[in-house]
Amino acid sequence: MTQQRLSRRRLRFCLYVFIAVFVVFAGRLFQIQALDMGAYAAESVRTGTARVPILAPRGKILDRNNQPLATSIDGRDITADPKLTGPNAPQIAKILRDQLGDKIDYFATIDRLRKQYYDRQAKQYRPARFAYVVKNLPAWQARNVMDALDKCKECVGVIPMKVGLRNYPGGRLAANLIGFVDAANRGQSGMELAFDKRLTGTAGKTTFEVSPLGVRIPMADTTVKKMVPGTDVISTIDGDLQWYADQRIAAGVRKSSSDWGLAITMDIRTGQIIQMSQAPSFDLDDPNDRSMTDVMNRSVEQAYEPGSVLKTVTMAALADQGKIRPETPIVVPKQVKVNEYRIGDYWQHGVLHLTAAGVIAKSSNLGTVVAARQMTKRSHWSYLRSFGFGQYTGIGLAGETHGILRSPDGPRGWAAANRATIAFGQGISVNAIQVIRAVGAIANGGVEVTPTIVEGYRLPDGRRVVVPRGPTHRAVSREAASIVTRMMEQVPRSDGGTAPAAQIAGYRVAGKTGTAWRVNPVTGRYVRGQNTVSFIGFAPADKPRFITYIVLDKPYRNAGGGLTAAPVFHDIMSMALERFGVLPTGSKSPKLDLDW
Amino acid sequence: MNAQPRGTTAHRAIPHRAGARLRGTPKAQPRRALRLVAPVANRARRTPFVVVLLTLIGLGLIGLILISTAMQAQTFQLARLSSQARDLQTTQESLQRDVSELKSPRTLGPKALWYGMVPSQTPVYLRLSDGQVIGSPKPAEARTNLEQVIR
Repeated sequence: MTQQRLSRRRLRFCLYVFIAVFVVFAGRLFQIQALDMGAYAAESVRTGTARVPILAPRGKILDRNNQPLATSIDGRDITADPKLTGPNAPQIAKILRDQLGDKIDYFATIDRLRKQYYDRQAKQYRPARFAYVVKNLPAWQARNVMDALDKCKECVGVIPMKVGLRNYPGGRLAANLIGFVDAANRGQSGMELAFDKRLTGTAGKTTFEVSPLGVRIPMADTTVKKMVPGTDVISTIDGDLQWYADQRIAAGVRKSSSDWGLAITMDIRTGQIIQMSQAPSFDLDDPNDRSMTDVMNRSVEQAYEPGSVLKTVTMAALADQGKIRPETPIVVPKQVKVNEYRIGDYWQHGVLHLTAAGVIAKSSNLGTVVAARQMTKRSHWSYLRSFGFGQYTGIGLAGETHGILRSPDGPRGWAAANRATIAFGQGISVNAIQVIRAVGAIANGGVEVTPTIVEGYRLPDGRRVVVPRGPTHRAVSREAASIVTRMMEQVPRSDGGTAPAAQIAGYRVAGKTGTAWRVNPVTGRYVRGQNTVSFIGFAPADKPRFITYIVLDKPYRNAGGGLTAAPVFHDIMSMALERFGVLPTGSKSPKLDLDW
Repeated sequence: MNAQPRGTTAHRAIPHRAGARLRGTPKAQPRRALRLVAPVANRARRTPFVVVLLTLIGLGLIGLILISTAMQAQTFQLARLSSQARDLQTTQESLQRDVSELKSPRTLGPKALWYGMVPSQTPVYLRLSDGQVIGSPKPAEARTNLEQVIR
């Protein structure tokens, strides 16, 4: 009986112990599952899962024929754990040097492999645990390096890390337009900067479960956040024409000893820039070849005074008001004195009797000044505004200057001298795209289009999106445009024109030379004997397709646009017409009277 | 020991497996004549059952080992193939880069000049339909256009 009671008490005791234990368990379970749920879940996710980012490749920049101008390739940064690499640094550095040649410096590499940091507590230097050895190697090169290191048993502690790399197959081709990226693959200039958002993809992520030792658990949950590659940008550039123009403008700059030169060709009807060259330029594939002045895209970033090229715009404004025709007689004086300034022509002459066409053909400043007196300065200004001067062009490239076109009224308005000089393109500053857009409007029957460098986008799923054309507006009437075109057709004439070199056999060419006084950017004053010479022209004149603008800054003394820029125009325009299969129209340029 | 009601003790004498079913049979049923029934072996033979179980367990274990071995092998194969795929991708990329560099004008242009080709300065077309030459053809002269190339 006592035995039985004892056993019962034991049983009860055990029961209570069990209950107590279960209550504790249940309490803890409740705490974990209901109260601290978030914290524990987060902790478990933190320790039990690993996340690996998936790099999204940057979109390509293609030319209009889908040839790559900028592409993304797989790259590696070679990094090291100096605690491991330190003892064998010379050996590792030798292998790296053998594999990479001049890309690395042997001694600098040894220093990196032995990188140290100062431990403040221990008050001594200790080997670091991370150091970059070589950055931005193409993956195949990194593979060769790692294969070579694998053969050396002691060479441990070198780790390749995946990075996205930008590659420019064309090297210098359209370098200033394409631009480049920084170390983090963000656009820094040119199209790389202008279309950075589209070109940049969205990085993805893989999340998988790992054991406490960090080993991936097979068959366990894996979630993948898909990466979205960047959008490809299809530019309007024709790669082959661009290369030829790059070479041709470089030769032009060399031959005329200019500081720099520009060559731009635009499709008159669409505003598509099919070539945008600059000399001197730089090599996109060589990160060390980046001087500030060569890297800037002068086509949009450089403000300068256009000179006589702007006479076409003055004439268009006059023609639009019905105040001038090609045969309008103009008495050109020996010189004009406005306030204390004397204005002359580039050649000495007495009083001349030129027609308006003659004024353009011979590029007479005085003739233009006399003709421009027929309109008020307010009206002159509003035509210049309508042609887009003093405003951004809408081309969408970063760093564009809108030039300087002062308001005609007010205390800082146009003085009498300004009014005279602006008629022939001095006292106003512009960027090259503004000029090509404005004269393009004359070629396009008076309708101004928005210049563009992008034709469309190729989305990651392969779909193509065509970029809609920018806004257009009428700057002058069709009749006015046609009058100025006929005047401009006299410029390449062998008898009396300023630029016979611009003639293209079989085609009707309309153009205008420009020789502008050059402003010293430091003093803001004209420098005697220093010019910016240019030539702008379009063809075929009776059915215009392309307009090409050549600018050469600070060529040899006394150089004019007709002798230096016009030959470059001729070659680039011929190539453009041929590449795009633009047939000659078969008609002949009208021969207008240049004097009376 | 026994929870059966007393009145049913008579049925306990019946050595039949179905006895349990007969329990609780209403008394109203007519009594059947008693007869001898062949005795049923009250215990199944143990050995075959154990063998079956062991076989099953054995097969399961072997299957498990096979599956895990196969998975291991596949993991290795996967690792090998993905590294091979990466390698091939890298090679493809390097070749693609070579191709785009080789077909880029920066390579082709200088080569063409080196072979003595001259960029045309007069666009001329041949209309295939009637064989008419459109434009004014002029022979391209060496050293008139591009003399040197910047690379």
